[in-house]
Amino acid sequence: MATNFVRKNWKALVSTVLILPVLYMVATAKMPHKQYPGREKVVFWHRWGGYWEKVVQRIVDRFNASQNDYEVVPMFTTGQGSETKFMLSTIGGDPPDVMSMGSDSLPSIASGGLLTDLETLMTPAEREYFHRVPYDAIRRTGQYRGKTYGITIGADLMGYYVNCQQLREIGYDPDKPPKTFEELVELGKKLTKRDKNGNIIRLGLNVDDLATQAIAWGGGFYDRDTNKLTMNTPANLACLKALAEQRQWVGFENASRFWSSQNTGSSTGAWPFIPGAVSITYDGQWRVDEIHRAKPDMDYRIWPIIPPAGGKPLAGLLGGNFMIIPTSAKNKKGAFEFLKFWSGVTHPERAAECFVAGGWIPLSPDVANAPAYQKFIKENPQFQTFIDILSGPNCQSKPSVGYLQYYLDQINRAQGTGLRGSKSPEDALKDLEKTVNTELKKRKELGFDD
Amino acid sequence: MKHKLRENLTGYLFISPWLIGFLIFTLYPFCRSFYLSLTRYTIISEPKFIGLANYKMMLFDDELFWKSLWVTVRYALVSVPLVLVVGVGLALLLNINVKGMTIFPTIFYLPSIVPVVATTSIFMWILNPQVGLVNRVLALFGVVGPAWLTDPKWTPWTLIFMAIWGAGGSMVIYLAGLKDIPIYLYEAATLDGASAIQKTRVITLPMLTPVIFFNLVMGVINTFQYFTQAFMISKGSGGPEDSTLFYALYMFQRSWKYLDMGYGSAMAWALFVIVVVCTTVIFRSQRRWVHYGH
Repeated sequence: MATNFVRKNWKALVSTVLILPVLYMVATAKMPHKQYPGREKVVFWHRWGGYWEKVVQRIVDRFNASQNDYEVVPMFTTGQGSETKFMLSTIGGDPPDVMSMGSDSLPSIASGGLLTDLETLMTPAEREYFHRVPYDAIRRTGQYRGKTYGITIGADLMGYYVNCQQLREIGYDPDKPPKTFEELVELGKKLTKRDKNGNIIRLGLNVDDLATQAIAWGGGFYDRDTNKLTMNTPANLACLKALAEQRQWVGFENASRFWSSQNTGSSTGAWPFIPGAVSITYDGQWRVDEIHRAKPDMDYRIWPIIPPAGGKPLAGLLGGNFMIIPTSAKNKKGAFEFLKFWSGVTHPERAAECFVAGGWIPLSPDVANAPAYQKFIKENPQFQTFIDILSGPNCQSKPSVGYLQYYLDQINRAQGTGLRGSKSPEDALKDLEKTVNTELKKRKELGFDD
Repeated sequence: MKHKLRENLTGYLFISPWLIGFLIFTLYPFCRSFYLSLTRYTIISEPKFIGLANYKMMLFDDELFWKSLWVTVRYALVSVPLVLVVGVGLALLLNINVKGMTIFPTIFYLPSIVPVVATTSIFMWILNPQVGLVNRVLALFGVVGPAWLTDPKWTPWTLIFMAIWGAGGSMVIYLAGLKDIPIYLYEAATLDGASAIQKTRVITLPMLTPVIFFNLVMGVINTFQYFTQAFMISKGSGGPEDSTLFYALYMFQRSWKYLDMGYGSAMAWALFVIVVVCTTVIFRSQRRWVHYGH
């Protein structure tokens, strides 16, 4: 009987024997598993891969060792599309308990009601502290319509990275930043080197980011007081004109060719500033840690955004990683404990150790002044520039609107056409205003309430 | 009668795995997407019926809709015929009976089995304006190569170049079609004193038209769904200056980046209509140029 069965079904049996181990391997491979039985599980999604994944793991390990109630299980979800995965997991009924999300996606997801108002999880004392102490721009970036949906665990700011050796070679003191943007442009011209065909072999100054730079010109693309978008304004136009003139001198195609020949990937040491291919480059604070690891003895400075004559100093537009808790999270309490541990809503001294692990912008002056953070700044004095920007009056948060991603994309499009010269800066901003207003009209007609 | 019914039931039972999959994963989403195109739907909230508003916006108020359609149509108009001609040309060359010729179909087919992502990554390096192989070779002849990936005038040509590189995929089908042409037609033509060019014009190409027709239809459909290469080259933005903003890429942006799934569904249905119209036109035209039978 059994022999007959085997004879009749031998193909199916062989297939099962072969497939089962494969299924087992697939099912168990890289699945995060609990190390502390008996504790409540907190699933944490984040977007840091490679080297950074280990940094995150160390922070998680510290949290898990610091208490006996919860076990955070981290999962890396690739940056691009992580928000889509989050939405699908939420709709599918299996969201993470806590997630590190890009701040640009936060308003649109919050507007859909998928995120927990984090203040509802705070004690009155925590709420009072949260409204009093953290940096304004950071707190506002995590808010949508007055409610707090995200708290930073690593915000981003931009500044100019300056190669001291190359500046000294042309007789310029890197400790005395140019006073105006015009001076900066002239300095960039002196530092640029070309080959006999006119190809750039060293770029003196790399600058873009209209959305942020415009703040230094006294403009910007959002007026928080009136909750209005501001696009085609004299200040924004002056900024785009200045950036376009600078790019015109470099040559848009020349610059594009130069950049495409550089490895601009995110791997440490691949950044063109480190080997000296760019003398002054506009980039984010995360590069400090990269330089520290790739070329610790590099002599460099970080200058804040240089405004034009009469412009606003220490301009900044905040973005970055914000921790959210889905409304349908299974373990909100555990998630919030982890969020507090990392962000420093309570125990800023302890949180400072998390922020310095990755060289991240802190939530509050309390974190920045904590011994661990001060030690980090002593070791990387250039980082102080970002803290100065953050503490200044011209550090802004991005528009708190549900269509933020669309708006930022359109600003980038306007910048692209303006810098390339295919449209005049005037036309680029006029078109931006027209396109965005048409979209807003459309959204209003379709009943979007964002 | 009973036997017939049982036979039918058995038949349906056998095809039920496919049938269930089709109903759940194809037909239902197909119908559902039409309903969604009539709604305001952000994925994360319940769809709200808004009638034809998405279609109205798309046709009358969205400059990028028309731009993306034009980018796609322009690419289709150039790449589909070009890939077709290259594919047929290669097949004709490889159909010659010369020693060692069997290796070439494999070589030309290889690009088709390389994942698109890998191919695009390699092309991005080969076409790098400053350190890429193509511009380095051009430089040997004193030619300053263009910025293939960053100049909006050149990016469409870069993508067409990549499409031609993959022409080996259709070439294999043409080659199979060539092998299918009865030898006696050539023998008769030879007896009549026809030259090689005459044989190609009067026998080979007409006999190959059913295969050309098939590749044309598939080429047009695939072109309207063109996405991966444009997404990689522009890092998802459709730049520079919207020159790689293909229809499918813009639809993706609208649906997943801006969370406007209702609008994305309307775009998908517009795409469906466009593809149906194009395919119908090609099908209608086949009576004039496709030769079936001997």
